[in-house]
Amino acid sequence: MKRKSFLFAVILACIYFAGCAPQKMYYFGNYSQTLYTFEKNQNEESLLKHKQELERVIAKSEVKNLPVPPGIYAELGYINLKANSSREAIRLFQVESQLYPESKHLMDRLIQIAKAKEAPESNLPDLSASKNTISKGTR
Amino acid sequence: MKKNNYLIFGILMVLSISACAPTMSTKLAEFPLMYEEQPASILILPPMNESTAADAKEYYSTTIQEPLAFSGYYTFPYPITADILKMEGIYDSELLVNMPLAKFKEYFGADAVLFTSIKKWDLSYMVLASKLTVSIDCKLKSTTSDQTLWEYTGTVVVDLSGGDTGGGVAGLIAKAIITAVNSAMADYVPYARQANYRALASMPLGKYHAQHNKDQNVQFIDQTPKKDKTE
Repeated sequence: MKRKSFLFAVILACIYFAGCAPQKMYYFGNYSQTLYTFEKNQNEESLLKHKQELERVIAKSEVKNLPVPPGIYAELGYINLKANSSREAIRLFQVESQLYPESKHLMDRLIQIAKAKEAPESNLPDLSASKNTISKGTR
Repeated sequence: MKKNNYLIFGILMVLSISACAPTMSTKLAEFPLMYEEQPASILILPPMNESTAADAKEYYSTTIQEPLAFSGYYTFPYPITADILKMEGIYDSELLVNMPLAKFKEYFGADAVLFTSIKKWDLSYMVLASKLTVSIDCKLKSTTSDQTLWEYTGTVVVDLSGGDTGGGVAGLIAKAIITAVNSAMADYVPYARQANYRALASMPLGKYHAQHNKDQNVQFIDQTPKKDKTE
């Protein structure tokens, strides 16, 4: 009798855990924390912290055998783009684009900007140089 | 006789519980367009802040990507898209509302855009406890059909006061200090994240989630604003 109830408890536990186990889809680390700190105090230090966190998320995801979350490669690429490391930026945009085909449209646009910047002067990507501007037209 | 009592009690229980039960709805019944259009990518627009908290916008926008990704959607990296919108001069929420949605498809390749307005972001600060109340309105709109695919209105209250510090005057003082420190740090990122997860519970899951297209009958407490859905 005791055995039976034990078995029952085990089965219940299995069902319970199977139902509740959070599906580990991605590893985000402290992404939102460091991003928030950067948004609030836009300086070299907070940018570096956020960049390191992005790199850590990528490394950890590989260790955990998880896909790198949407946007992480792209964001790291964008930071590189702003720091005038255009080649690395292009590489990262391509990785994002391969990993998430939904991003291809935007990544191609950013790659174009990065290519145009390979002989750079300004610190910011000049988006108005790309073909379509978004601000035209009203509803 | 005793059996009868039980029966009556049982019936009463059932009645009282059924009276209290919140209205439940399924994802398919509430958001059929999500299953019809199957949006895969979501562009998060800068939230409109109608609350009195100046920080609310940053708290919100830096914590919304994660739960959306976990819901199975491709989320465009907010720092990049926000930057682009800023450079194009349409970061301002008023201008965003009037943008033709097809433009977001054209420029970013987004299937849907997420509009959010923060109605309330209040820290009620008392001597011995403090509470954070967050009220948000979210709307996911299609960039192809202009229709509202999903929406949510809700309020989340988070207790920020520190844990129980034990009785006595010393305990009360300790608690007051903890509350003050907690509020001063204003470290609400985890709470903002919690609020976002709560809000997204009713959203049908996207293509990167294992339960994609299998959650039509999942029930949730209906909090969608009841109004004509013509918008």
